[in-house]
Amino acid sequence: MKNKISSSVSRIDTPEKTGGKASYIADIKLEGMLHAKTLRSERARARIKAINCPNLPEGYFIIDRQDIPGKNSVKMLIDDQPFFADGIVNYIGEPILLAVGPEKETVNWIIENTEVEYEDILPIFSVDEAKDPAKPPIFQKNNIFAEYEIRKGNPEKAFEGSHRVFEKEYRTGYQEHIYLEPQGVIGTYDDGRVTVYGSMQCPYYVKTALIHGLGWNEDMIRVVQTTTGGAFGGKEDYPSIIAGHAVFAALKTNRPVRLVFDRAEDIQSTTKRHPSIIKIKTALDSKGTIIGMNVDITLDGGAYCGLSPVVLQRAMFVSTGAYNIPNVLVRGKVLATNNVPSGAFRGFGAPQAIFAIEMHLNSLAENLKMDPLDLKKKYLLKKGDPTVTGGKLREDVKMPRMISLLEDISGYRKKKASFHKKNARDLRGIGISLFLHGCAFTGSGERDKIKAKVKLRKEDDGKVSILVSNVDMGQGPQTTLRKIVSKILGIPFSQVLYDNPDTDRVPDSGPTVASRTVMIVGYLLSRAAEKLKTEGKTEVTEEYIQPPYIEWDQENFIGDAYPVYSWGANAVEVSIDPDTYEIKVESVWGVYDVGTPIDEQIVYGQIEGGISQGLGYATIEVMESREGGLMQRSMTDYIIASSVDFPGAEKRLIENYYDYGPFGAKCAGELPFVGVAPALAAAVQNAIGVPIEKLPVTPEYLLEAAEGGN
Amino acid sequence: MVDTFKPQSLQEAVDVLSDKGAILFAGGTDLMVQRRRRGGLIPDFDRPVILIGHLKELKEISNSTREIRIGSCCTYTALLSHKAVPEILKTCVSQIASPGIRNRGTIGGNICNASPAGDTLPVLYALDASVILARDNKERVLPIEKFIKGPGTTVLEADELLTRIIIPHSSFNKFFYKKVGTRAYNALSKISFTGLALKKLRAVEDVRIAFGAVSPTVVRSKDIEAQIRGKDIDAIQKMIPEILSHYSKLIDPISDQRSNRRYRKTVSLNLLNSFLKNYML
Ligand SMILES: Cc1cc2nc3c(=O)[nH]c(=O)nc-3n(C[C@H](O)[C@H](O)[C@H](O)COP(=O)(O)OP(=O)(O)OC[C@H]3O[C@@H](n4cnc5c(N)ncnc54)[C@H](O)[C@@H]3O)c2cc1C
Repeated sequence: MKNKISSSVSRIDTPEKTGGKASYIADIKLEGMLHAKTLRSERARARIKAINCPNLPEGYFIIDRQDIPGKNSVKMLIDDQPFFADGIVNYIGEPILLAVGPEKETVNWIIENTEVEYEDILPIFSVDEAKDPAKPPIFQKNNIFAEYEIRKGNPEKAFEGSHRVFEKEYRTGYQEHIYLEPQGVIGTYDDGRVTVYGSMQCPYYVKTALIHGLGWNEDMIRVVQTTTGGAFGGKEDYPSIIAGHAVFAALKTNRPVRLVFDRAEDIQSTTKRHPSIIKIKTALDSKGTIIGMNVDITLDGGAYCGLSPVVLQRAMFVSTGAYNIPNVLVRGKVLATNNVPSGAFRGFGAPQAIFAIEMHLNSLAENLKMDPLDLKKKYLLKKGDPTVTGGKLREDVKMPRMISLLEDISGYRKKKASFHKKNARDLRGIGISLFLHGCAFTGSGERDKIKAKVKLRKEDDGKVSILVSNVDMGQGPQTTLRKIVSKILGIPFSQVLYDNPDTDRVPDSGPTVASRTVMIVGYLLSRAAEKLKTEGKTEVTEEYIQPPYIEWDQENFIGDAYPVYSWGANAVEVSIDPDTYEIKVESVWGVYDVGTPIDEQIVYGQIEGGISQGLGYATIEVMESREGGLMQRSMTDYIIASSVDFPGAEKRLIENYYDYGPFGAKCAGELPFVGVAPALAAAVQNAIGVPIEKLPVTPEYLLEAAEGGN
Repeated sequence: MVDTFKPQSLQEAVDVLSDKGAILFAGGTDLMVQRRRRGGLIPDFDRPVILIGHLKELKEISNSTREIRIGSCCTYTALLSHKAVPEILKTCVSQIASPGIRNRGTIGGNICNASPAGDTLPVLYALDASVILARDNKERVLPIEKFIKGPGTTVLEADELLTRIIIPHSSFNKFFYKKVGTRAYNALSKISFTGLALKKLRAVEDVRIAFGAVSPTVVRSKDIEAQIRGKDIDAIQKMIPEILSHYSKLIDPISDQRSNRRYRKTVSLNLLNSFLKNYML
């Protein structure tokens, strides 16, 4: 039975976006507005000895660290990142100063004619070098941004008593967001207040960063999100930096200042998905049963901490995947290097961890002469099982049904058998991945850190305004949140208003991250709507209350790491060119449990996009850092999929009502991304018979894997 | 800002060009990328620009019993829709860029740009193409391999313009063209392979082999082709290891942000091997 809320409506933002009417930050021109351009470090690690700017023409300005009224540090988890380099640069592309003025040409001329004298410091380019005591550390004494451990059962004893140990190492590379709209902000200063307009996911993060950077009272600062052309996590933390830049410039020049990146600048200087090295050791008893597991995760955090500790936590919380493994020790570390800072990206640590555990189990199954799917089914988490953090799974896990549906639609078993008999020039393979994604903030984060607040207000004309700080960056809340509210109030969709958030108007309902918008914010809105309807008020504010079942110890990572999980299973079929090792994706299938989909079409859109982005991550999106400089610096060299590269996916949704989500909805935004790469890699492994232990799976890598040596 | 000329005829274009130092602008799909500047600044054209992409004389395709002549400003789209254009060239062109770029990009631009990754070049080498260069009432004809000097360099003089490409007719009944890019469309070549042969009964009467993007310029060896020509397929079968080793010496790829030397070299030879074993014989 299909829930009525799931029936699709036309997305409200489609006409203005497809019609070219939407106004993005680069379309906005304010009177007297100045242009800004950033002078960036050309060195990976150096002391700045001197900066020599040319004589500035009238009306042109340099903005640097001396123009920051408050603290020269961007408020995040650890405030180690300066707005403008503070005498030292730590990565190629780090902002040093801005040139600002009325003509772009002249601003550009100032940047090109400013010389920086550097004195190099011994750089750290890799996580291995980060552990080398001979190199002066970048961060504190040991270069470790964060280091954690999770235990379940008694892993030491399991390994001691094991019959044998199966061990492998997995590596994943960078991924760049390539949101359609590059980063951009406008800062203004009027009547003692600053306003930032910009392309962003988290208006209140930006506001908090400005409070610190300016050292001002919060009511002197306003942040307005402008229509955002994609983000994928890349506009979670980064906009705080450039919002600071634009505001400091506006203060100094007393004019509106716009800072908009071009594509190359965006690729070269903004955050990326964390590269990872994950070692997994599995303890087996004499019958080949898994009795314990050690997972060791190392992430390259780049030059500044940013959100890395949380990315690591989220990787660790799903490090044993969708499985109930007894006796686990998970160790994780994020290290500082002189690479571009790593940051938030759809999946947030989970894609790396899920790739490693899935590939590990695939190889283990081959080693045990079993089909991977049969091995995985044996250990699948089910209701009542303990998670890796010892939380109890309270939800119905529908994976068995989802897997059998996936087997049916993909023809997995039959294909597996027939691909076995192929000849050397017919390289075909099929692979499956099983995965889960934790919805919203970890543990009690929603209660202790975010404390979301939403507001609904009845306007004079009878329309109802949604007042939240969450943004539509293409993922659909302009439509889904309206749907939730209009359905409960029993008013037409068009009677619900939801403008781009403006911190002067909306309460802080938290950042637009962690697939939390529909499940957390949508649920608060649904409760607010119920009250608005029954209590006859004109305005209702609703605050987050933690579901009573959640138990979480943030110090020791024990308990419910997430309020609930969404689940998925993917199958991918590939063929491989025997001469060139090029991978052709022949078919993709996906079955998902996202609770109740609030609009099927939007969820399908997330799935198609997630699959395409996931297949790109798995195959063609190559980004490497050589001596701190990115090798792929433009879209000519950093290749993302076009519409002809991958086939459309065959996708199914299985309903599974969640009591604390609006109409039963859980999370859907990140889930479709996380399982794709391991399914692709499993298919390739099946096709060429060589274990795949690295992402992306390029033809160059396959050639080496297949032919060996150098 | 620089002066931009839009001549009404080829003659006028040649006249303006002899004024020296002008940049010929056909489709502009290479020029606008090479001369772009960051952050919304206007592109950097430091010399006057002559637009030639619209000139009728340069957009003609004529076919005779001996050869086909292609105007330098024929777009890829135009080549694809003309029946006299050799199949192998069409196969190659259909894999260049994307529809929008194929509507603007020209074959003359691809040749004059002389990029090691220029996709029409290996096919033109294999087809024994020549180019006609014009200046002030004078013309010269050069085989394509004499026209291209190295990566990004040609023998084109500052006052010269490429007007036509001549492709002599030849007949082949075996074709193998393979472009290895990073994605299905709109990707520059890591490697391209062009193989053509005319097989009659058991003998190979003609053969052409060319590699793109794996050396500073196209790799084609008329010597090795001569050794294959006229042989019967059993003899060629035996020669395969020797043929591979000959080409192995000529293929000298680089490692860069798109691929690496080992891959380019191994895969070039795999493709050659595949052509010799699976397509030609
Ligand atoms: C997105 C994209 C994808 C691309 N994909 C491919 C690809 O897959 N394969 C590939 O090979 N190329 C590709 N290219 C490159 C480019 O499109 C081709 O090289 C195209 O053929 C260039 O032709 P044009 O007319 O646009 O050249 P232009 O940019 O107009 O000119 C290129 C050069 O040739 C000179 N020139 C042009 N015409 C003449 C003439 N008649 N006489 C003398 N000099 C002349 C110009 O002065 C300039 O130096 C791609 C480009 C882009 C932007």
